[in-house]
Amino acid sequence: MQRRLANVNGWTVSAAIIMILLFLPNITIVTGIFSPSNENWVHMKEFVLGSFIRTSLILISATAILTISIGLSLAWLITQYQFPLRGFLKWALILPLSIPPFIGAYTYHGIVNYTGVIQTTLRDQFDMVLNPAHFDIMNLPGAIFIYTMFLYPYVYTITRVFLSQQSASLIESARMLGKGPWRTFFQVVIPISRVSIIGGASLVVLEVLNDYGVVKYFGIQTFTTAIFQTWFGLGDIESSIKLAASLMGFVIFILVIEKVLRGRRQYSYSTTKVRPLPLIQLKGWKAGLVTTYGLMILSLGFFIPIAQLIDWMILTFGTIPMDEFLTYVKNSVLVAGISATAIIIFALIVGNFSRLVQGKVAKLLPKLSILGYSIPGAVIAVAVVTAFIALDRFLVPLYQMIGITTTLVLSVSLIMLISAYIIRFFAIGYNSIESGYDKIGTDFRDASRLLGVGVTKTFFKVDVPMLKGAIISGFILVFIDILKEIPLTLILRPFNFDTLSTKAFQYASDEKIMEASQASLLIVGISALAIVVFYKFLEKEPD
Amino acid sequence: MKKALFLVLAFALLVLSACGNDTTTNKTTSNKESKETKETTETNESKEVNLYTARHYDVDDELYAKFEEETGIKVNVIKGEADELLERIKREGDATEADLFLTADAGRLYRAKDDGLLQAVSSDKLDEQVPANFQDKDQMWYGLTKRARVIIYNKETVKPEELSTYEALTEDQWKGRVLIRGSENVYNQSLLASFIEINGEDKAKEWAAGLVSNFARDPEGGDRDQAKAIAAGVGDVAIMNTYYFGQMLNSEDPEEVKVAEGLGIFFPNQDTTGTHVNVSGAGVVKTSKNKDNAIKLLEFLSAPEAQGTFAEANYEYPVNESVEATELLKSWGEFKEQDISLSVLGDNNAKSILIFNEVGWK
Repeated sequence: MQRRLANVNGWTVSAAIIMILLFLPNITIVTGIFSPSNENWVHMKEFVLGSFIRTSLILISATAILTISIGLSLAWLITQYQFPLRGFLKWALILPLSIPPFIGAYTYHGIVNYTGVIQTTLRDQFDMVLNPAHFDIMNLPGAIFIYTMFLYPYVYTITRVFLSQQSASLIESARMLGKGPWRTFFQVVIPISRVSIIGGASLVVLEVLNDYGVVKYFGIQTFTTAIFQTWFGLGDIESSIKLAASLMGFVIFILVIEKVLRGRRQYSYSTTKVRPLPLIQLKGWKAGLVTTYGLMILSLGFFIPIAQLIDWMILTFGTIPMDEFLTYVKNSVLVAGISATAIIIFALIVGNFSRLVQGKVAKLLPKLSILGYSIPGAVIAVAVVTAFIALDRFLVPLYQMIGITTTLVLSVSLIMLISAYIIRFFAIGYNSIESGYDKIGTDFRDASRLLGVGVTKTFFKVDVPMLKGAIISGFILVFIDILKEIPLTLILRPFNFDTLSTKAFQYASDEKIMEASQASLLIVGISALAIVVFYKFLEKEPD
Repeated sequence: MKKALFLVLAFALLVLSACGNDTTTNKTTSNKESKETKETTETNESKEVNLYTARHYDVDDELYAKFEEETGIKVNVIKGEADELLERIKREGDATEADLFLTADAGRLYRAKDDGLLQAVSSDKLDEQVPANFQDKDQMWYGLTKRARVIIYNKETVKPEELSTYEALTEDQWKGRVLIRGSENVYNQSLLASFIEINGEDKAKEWAAGLVSNFARDPEGGDRDQAKAIAAGVGDVAIMNTYYFGQMLNSEDPEEVKVAEGLGIFFPNQDTTGTHVNVSGAGVVKTSKNKDNAIKLLEFLSAPEAQGTFAEANYEYPVNESVEATELLKSWGEFKEQDISLSVLGDNNAKSILIFNEVGWK
């Protein structure tokens, strides 16, 4: 016992350090909640906050329900059944994640608006003029559609990893006990995958809460609008941070509810042999229906917008300077690769700590790291800048010792940007890894420890191989997210540092969506490549 | 599986080592650079200027490259959104590396000045090239290009004679026919801010409320989308910036060109207070370490040569009066501008937001 405690300590210390570093910048924001209410705050409360919050609630609940329905049903079909194109759909269904939602919004608007392909074709070829109101996507349902189509892969990926690693026994037992596929799905699959469903859906909800691009363009006023209105419009960043802090409070509340809901129920591997489920062969119209469903979702979330972007790329090819694009690709891949790797390593350490240490606080603490993901990137950026400038000022004596004469060193380097990514996207990686730890439980680890294998060796020999799926999906999610990230990259980058996403944003924000297609397509291409490499070639799990 | 894991770890290591290398090289260069800055500030011959800009046009990059070619001064750029860049400068305080702040709205320039982030600079060249009403009265910033916020109308359903002023759009005959984007947009905030200055707060609020009651639909999309909505028959008139109209007329997409050709441009308030005009402009940061270079860049950007490029590429009006506008802009004719100090746009910005919220302009 003594020895075990001593060994856990090395992990505990690293986990503690990581968590403190992740929280540090958030302190600037949390303290904002205590700043006094000024007249701007009162005005916001009186005139707009109520309706903004209502809109936000509709937006997040509708998006959550739709992404869960789509993501979970697809994950279930892929892990349970054999049907045409299953192998392709299995990884391709993640692709919509590679399209930044604001680019998706501009693209869909581009397709359906007056000069878009649908209306012009009807007008020019068939002489049909339609009621423009029927083609308006810039409203609340439109925004829900956009978020659903480009964010459902969070739920899909996380639940699919869970279901595919699910020991056959639970579902097989259900099958043997004579439950049909529908009852198995509702009575077994949904309850046992609750953790991963909530994990995926909470990422979706937080992404919707922190996004500003789509709602701004569509003219929908949400809670995020209030944050930016007080900052940009009223020039009152204190009130705006106060609003962001309230948002964080709301997220903490949700997290606690989730923990309570999850309760003490644990589902982990029940036998030593984690066999994948034998796939059930679908035939005839059923197979056709499932394939069609998968292709339909993939078309809406990927093929249709990509076709439009390619069309625009051809239209505008040669009209914008392209000679620097190779540098943008290099920059994008570099920062996303470094940050994603760091996040996965940190998430493994913190996840291991949280699983081994008893007590509610230890379990809840890492969840709080998700706070950074709940508020708009621009606000996080301010917190990170503040923290790094303080750090730089603190380090000035050291800088002088090694002959640097400027005060700002770290905060004008890539280190600030990469740290910001880690703070912001840690939750994405952690969710994936936690769901993996959740699945394997501690029995195998304990057995290994009983056999006298050291903590660290056990971790690498026993846990990491079993976590492989979670590591891969976590890495991909974070990598793609950083590739398309926008406010942090814009605000925190060093001089002369452009990425594909800053380039895409630059054109889109000037209402030049056609010119933004080149950079957008490259983001999609690199993301797709990452997905293909990891899923097709590395994850050779038997189907 | 082992092989897979090995590959993942190998990739991780590779990336990490790349990171290590990269940051060390970065550090050494920044060391070198900072030493250079130190030496050069002493001798006043630094060869750099650090720019924080909220203008994202490709033509800007071309101009910076040309500036470097002509003067040997390298322009280091961080592009971002105006308010976020301002916040970054503010938090960096006197240690900031920023020398020049460039943005596309006079209101933001005012805010930078108001926050004490800019310093007064003067040069004969600047005075000669930038007319007085496009300079800050304390010479803290200088305008570089200008754009007008005008009325665009459907040539088939609206006769230009029916149009007169911004105020007239609140009359009953325009009920359900007016298009304009949302109030989060800074161009609308500056427009209302100018009315607060010219007509007083009450009248301005009346105007905003009247316009809202004539909206063809809840505001959505950007400026170009308002023009398209006219073509689609959603409304008949739209308030938008001139350069967006220019961009549409010259779009790569023939459908957009078709839309723009069906629309007319009208400069409102010609017989009264003048058309609303805003500027792109720049100011030297208070703690600038390369002040001389920053002034040189300002002079370069307002000189006739750069002004031509500025205006041509983005369909904006040059501030430098010795430079002629492009053929397209000339074809729209000369017009009377609002006669107000642009600083008031920033001064009244918060008031406009409050009004927008109160009258329910989304």
